[in-house]
Amino acid sequence: MSALRLIPRGNAGGNLSQMMGLSQMGRRLASGGDGIRLMVGEREVVGYGINGRPIYFDSQDCPFPAIRYREVTPELCAIREKELGDWKKLSLDDKKRLYRHSFCQTFVEFQHFTPEWKICLGVALWLVALGLSISMVLKTKMYGQLPDTFDEDRRSAQLRRMIQLQMNPITGISSKWCYEENKWKSQLH
Amino acid sequence: MSTWANLGLQDSASPLMEQLIFFHDHAFMLFFNNYVNRFLLHGQRLLYLLDEINEPSVTLKSIGHQWYWSYEYSDFNNIEFDSYMIPTNELSTDGFRLLDVDNRIVLPMNSQIRILVTAADVIHSWTVPALGVKVDGTPGRLNQTNFFINRPGLFYGQCSEICGANHSFMPIVIESVPVNYFIKWISSNNSSLDDWKQVLVS
Repeated sequence: MSALRLIPRGNAGGNLSQMMGLSQMGRRLASGGDGIRLMVGEREVVGYGINGRPIYFDSQDCPFPAIRYREVTPELCAIREKELGDWKKLSLDDKKRLYRHSFCQTFVEFQHFTPEWKICLGVALWLVALGLSISMVLKTKMYGQLPDTFDEDRRSAQLRRMIQLQMNPITGISSKWCYEENKWKSQLH
Repeated sequence: MSTWANLGLQDSASPLMEQLIFFHDHAFMLFFNNYVNRFLLHGQRLLYLLDEINEPSVTLKSIGHQWYWSYEYSDFNNIEFDSYMIPTNELSTDGFRLLDVDNRIVLPMNSQIRILVTAADVIHSWTVPALGVKVDGTPGRLNQTNFFINRPGLFYGQCSEICGANHSFMPIVIESVPVNYFIKWISSNNSSLDDWKQVLVS
């Protein structure tokens, strides 16, 4: 019970703004703004959380959020009284209710994979298809023909000439040709 | 010349280019192994090597025009000729597109060669990657460099300074031949050797 503390309205973040010597505007901003106060509502602040702000989120990195998930209700108060006694007397249902009061999801639940990957994959494949279609259109309609020198017979003639001229004989193409056997070195046994 | 799937440097035909390749490979190896200081020394050695004074036996003058090269051998018989790219539609079956020329530069191998590069109109650049040579040809200026070819063959290069519409279509081809063939060529005043194989046979 001593751990419970409600955020007093209108003075949230007061200490921080005094320390920084801020104006009234600054104090309002430092309090986290009206948005955060509205989000907190009547929920209890139980710790520092990840950055001191009274925001609830489930995360493996910060397993203890700054505030409880739900607001205090009369049913909860009854279970809290029971919690003060012997925990062995708590039923499984009680334990679950206590957990669900403080937390939104269990570790297993929030770490579970989501169906998001299907959307991601779908969009990615659509983009790939779009790219491929554009390149196909460019290739068939827009680009001209390759020069004649790209024909197979011309290319093999050029290759034969490169080998005869011993071009790049150290680590390049001619180094891969065996001049004694008149074939590629990789074809030798 | 670059062959298909060539990603890196061409094989060298000059001792300086060979050193440049070693430096390049060495520097990359050290770069990936994070040793910085060593390759600075190597680089400096190479820088001095490239500026060595040597006695060239042949001088070649190269003048860049839009869009062809012209060459002069003034040491001997005052040979001059223009070197135009062979158009693709006139290429032989085994011709190299955008690289072959009508008149190649014939040079002796294993000799120091001096080249003086200039241009007649706009800036061009005379390049032969296999020899590690790249010299800008500027109108009104003579740029000199030396090189040494240590094996016979054909060495291709392309103009390396944007010079207009046909900048990509003014290649350079050096035909490196043994000294006696070079002397024969000079004395016969032949400005065009059609097939490199013929030189060997004769």
